[in-house]
Amino acid sequence: MNRSSDRWLAYFLILPVVAAVLAFVLGPTWDVATLSLTQFVMGQERGFGTLVNFEALWADPVFGTVVVNTAIWILGGTVFCVLTGLAVGAYLAIDSKVTTALRALILLPWVLPDVVTAMAWKWMLHGQVGVIGDAFTRVGLSDQPISFLGDPDLVMWMLVIVLVWRKMPLVALILCAAIRSVPAEQIEAARMDGANAFQRFRHVILPNISFSLTAVTVISMIWITAEFTLPWVMTGGGPANSSQIMSTYIYQQSFQFFNWGVGSAMSVVNLVFLMAVVGLYLYINRRSWAAGGSK
Amino acid sequence: MGSVALRDIRKSYGAVEVLHGIDLDVADGEFVVLVGPSGCGKSTLLRSLAGLETISGGEISIDGSSIVHLHPKSRDIAMVFQNYALYPHMNVAKNMGFPLQMAKVSKSEIDEKVAKAAEILSLTQMLKRYPKQLSGGQRQRVAMGRAIVRDPKVFLFDEPLSNLDAALRVQMRTEIKGLHQRLGTTIVYVTHDQIEAMTMADKIVVMKDGHVEQIGAPLDLYDRPANRFVAGFIGSPAMNFMPAKVENGQAVLENGAVLAPAPEGLTEGQAFTAGVRPEHLMVADQGASANVTVVEPTGAELQFVVDLAGTPTLVSTRDRLHLRLGDTLHLEVEAGRLHAFDSETGVRLG
Ligand SMILES: Nc1ncnc2c1ncn2[C@@H]1O[C@H](COP(=O)(O)OP(=O)(O)OP(=O)(O)O)[C@@H](O)[C@H]1O
Ligand SMILES: [Mg+2]
Repeated sequence: MNRSSDRWLAYFLILPVVAAVLAFVLGPTWDVATLSLTQFVMGQERGFGTLVNFEALWADPVFGTVVVNTAIWILGGTVFCVLTGLAVGAYLAIDSKVTTALRALILLPWVLPDVVTAMAWKWMLHGQVGVIGDAFTRVGLSDQPISFLGDPDLVMWMLVIVLVWRKMPLVALILCAAIRSVPAEQIEAARMDGANAFQRFRHVILPNISFSLTAVTVISMIWITAEFTLPWVMTGGGPANSSQIMSTYIYQQSFQFFNWGVGSAMSVVNLVFLMAVVGLYLYINRRSWAAGGSK
Repeated sequence: MGSVALRDIRKSYGAVEVLHGIDLDVADGEFVVLVGPSGCGKSTLLRSLAGLETISGGEISIDGSSIVHLHPKSRDIAMVFQNYALYPHMNVAKNMGFPLQMAKVSKSEIDEKVAKAAEILSLTQMLKRYPKQLSGGQRQRVAMGRAIVRDPKVFLFDEPLSNLDAALRVQMRTEIKGLHQRLGTTIVYVTHDQIEAMTMADKIVVMKDGHVEQIGAPLDLYDRPANRFVAGFIGSPAMNFMPAKVENGQAVLENGAVLAPAPEGLTEGQAFTAGVRPEHLMVADQGASANVTVVEPTGAELQFVVDLAGTPTLVSTRDRLHLRLGDTLHLEVEAGRLHAFDSETGVRLG
């Protein structure tokens, strides 16, 4: 064996992975990118190398709503997911019988299939037969049944609440684990130094878990961006596009209206956004990576 | 001022009691060292004093007023941890200033106090560095700095040197001792290293299984250990023990060899455990005869093991003897250096 044959062996060994990435990641991405630059009329290709799809997207009156809704969905969802996850994780990190049991139970929303979650919440939030609206009227919080998913001003926030319910548990568990791995001596030292519970959280725990916190924030953001079943099954983008977000709109345009051009143009916008998120994450954590994962 | 009084301190974890009623008085400015084997409850006692553990019974007071119901931060006690417990995300200056920041001291005053502490500990060049950029000894000094800036009534140290290498340990030992002389603050210091205890302490507390075995000045413990446990624990290399009997006012070994005059307070014919430190056995022309089984020159002194009436016995001497395995020689005990302990209870006799 000499050096050059070693190298060929190495290339040979990574070949399957390279092939898989080419076939399943780069290939479809390339397809979508070229598709977005191709004009379609009635499902027929009519010329390549045009920006008409992006122009159409820009001119589409729904596009503005989609952007605002997507911002609420992704940013609102991520912020609430991480904040509630942090609060719940901090609570679960306390040693007690209750929290030990809760640590297992809390994963329940996580293990339910998406469609089941979506259907269950859809019916619970239903205007006429939903238990939640019913409870509201019984307690006297509202005179008439509220149609949570039928109200254009409310519907996006309802989706975010369900999203947080579904995604927060894992965030909470990851942050709980991170909090529990903060060295006990540091916390005790802070107690001796006169820090109260809030100050210990702010000055000792938070900096110690900052790596997990950024990681979990970015991962949530990616999950939420990719989440499709929940909004699609619950509202299908309605009423009247008022809960339309990127993923549902792409689906609707591509597979219901066969508007491939606009769908792929939107996918490209989506992809650019996701890459920006990942880039931001790598940038924030550049020092941590170099230092081997810990601060 | 910072005198500490512990009265009948008890601590249980569930059904298991790990401190069985500890009494201890620490005078203002005194350097007290708690020693004992692993698991004897030293850390638990120290942490109870700090307020990090709630005690199950007893009374702790500083300068005469009870602190049992106070939070750690209100006790005016600072603690230095074994693993330093520095905040990794703060630089040295921030680490040292943290207690003052928590106490809402003004920025300029914090800077001033941190600069002063840094000077005492020769850390002035390091103030902008982060803990991971420091050596073990420097980290230890930062941890001490964080305690000093508060100017507390009492310092607590829990095995602060056990993560350092041997040479650094000796150096830090002197530094802590020097710091104590300079600041004059009361110190309670935990270690399981009896040399550390002997060299640093004004007063040593020897603990075992949650009990105090003996409290006293280092040399008192060395000269008059209260029981066999303390005798074996204090002093390095450790004391030799062998069964003996009083015959004609002499301490006689099992094979009939005479070791030394029996200590006062023993009755004729009484059996006891004789204790002799290796450095108090001398090679002589007469006395109990023994066979050399191991020879270990350490440079400064010579240590060798002999078979003394069936008991392997360590002898250490500064004389340059030329010994070979199998040599037979005679041993005598330095006058007044024979200790006698009850064979059953281990309590000092006479
Ligand atoms: N949280 C706890 N729960 C139950 N038992 C404990 C706990 N902490 C300590 N113990 C027990 O209390 C006893 C004393 O422990 P402690 O840490 O005070 O020993 P130590 O003298 O400091 O020992 P070392 O020299 O090894 O540090 C030990 O037997 C230990 O097992
Ligand atoms: Mg300990």
